[in-house]
Amino acid sequence: MKRTFQYIHSVAIVALLLTLAACEKKDYALPTPKDGLQNDAIKRSLGPNIVGQQIEFAYAMAILPDKGKISSAEVEASIEGAPGTFLEHRSYYTSSTNGADVGVVIGNPSTTDKNKTTVTFTKDTMAATLRYYYVIPEAARGQSVSFTFTARSSNGQTVTYKLGPYQISKMSMTRLITVSDNNLAYFSIEDMKAYNAADAAANAAKIDLVYLYRTYTTSTFTHALVSPAADAQYRPDITLPAGVNRSTLMRKVFNLQDYNLAQLQYGIYIDDKDLQEIDLSTSPNFAINLKAEAGVWVETADKKYRAYIYVNSVNNAGKSAVISIKRYAL
Amino acid sequence: MRKPINILYILLLMTFVVAACKKDYPVDEDGLLITARQECFVSSFEILGPDFVTVRSKPAVIDTTAQTITVEVQFGTDLKNLYPQFQLASDCKLDPKVTGKTDFSNLASPRVYTVVSGNRQIRKPYTINITVQPR
Repeated sequence: MKRTFQYIHSVAIVALLLTLAACEKKDYALPTPKDGLQNDAIKRSLGPNIVGQQIEFAYAMAILPDKGKISSAEVEASIEGAPGTFLEHRSYYTSSTNGADVGVVIGNPSTTDKNKTTVTFTKDTMAATLRYYYVIPEAARGQSVSFTFTARSSNGQTVTYKLGPYQISKMSMTRLITVSDNNLAYFSIEDMKAYNAADAAANAAKIDLVYLYRTYTTSTFTHALVSPAADAQYRPDITLPAGVNRSTLMRKVFNLQDYNLAQLQYGIYIDDKDLQEIDLSTSPNFAINLKAEAGVWVETADKKYRAYIYVNSVNNAGKSAVISIKRYAL
Repeated sequence: MRKPINILYILLLMTFVVAACKKDYPVDEDGLLITARQECFVSSFEILGPDFVTVRSKPAVIDTTAQTITVEVQFGTDLKNLYPQFQLASDCKLDPKVTGKTDFSNLASPRVYTVVSGNRQIRKPYTINITVQPR
């Protein structure tokens, strides 16, 4: 019995010593920087990648001063960017006084040759972060696109950084379309455009919605998007142009301020998947009493398109509204 | 030395036995507690559109004697896709359950929801009468 006790005792002491040894602080060693040209890149923009919009990247590169200086930076996209694609020739830092981005010119404006965009450095630069704006071309719709960032230094070193692939949305987007009760009242989802009565008659097969503004003392009608084929009580005092007769399914939404459409502080994005999956089969063909920052999901009569229409603003006195649309071809 | 240990074991065993005999509270088929409460009524009613914004044009009228809820909805309401919300007396439940969008478009044959009391003995059907505000 006594021997067992002694054994347990010694084991406990050893365990305690081990625990203490484990707590011993390790000295911190300063990491030694790599002494070659280095680079790093991030994607700055969020949300779906929509044709006609930009994808923004930040590309950072640096070299130790005694090793050389940066001579050029280049980005190669797997699909040639649309006009407007460029690599900044300024390196930005954040001002300590007002927090604003301050650009320091490091070279000539970028030149783009097909899918390669290059900036040649003209200032002695050891470190820079350049922003790259890729304007998504029509050719990339529904495809994926990758990027290769390359930096070169005066000592002959080259580094590359790959980002992607990024899926490009199939949807299209048009922002800030004005619709008005007495003029541009006929909206085509196919064209993503508002027409007046005369033009609507000429494009009758494409007119999916009628915008109207009414006030009644007995109900709240105000701003409305109604199918031409909706019951007449939902489109009072409207004489439809000849041939305008489509029935579009609609579901009202509130608090869905898509960032691309609203450009407000809300980080909500509608992407292809939302438009693919929404079921509007039981929805009516009218949406009345629409307010600013509200929206409607719509599906065209021929099931060719689904869309989300966002109401940016309404003007009661002018009987008009400003709307934006994201449209997906089914 | 051995005797006290045995007694200790027996005491421990007794504790477990006593604990195991604790009475279970009765629950219904939904796993909800069945209580002694007999109250059985709807205390408030709300109805939301597909955008989760109320579609009522005025407060709903709840008649607990006639067991009806009368509510007028705004002109242009999408009656096929509505979300009714009931507030019930303590421990009550609703049959059928509201699981999502509900179709109220058949105004001629109003929907009926039954309130079941906390003791699950009393059932009161409430008829939801919907009228649409005139334009």
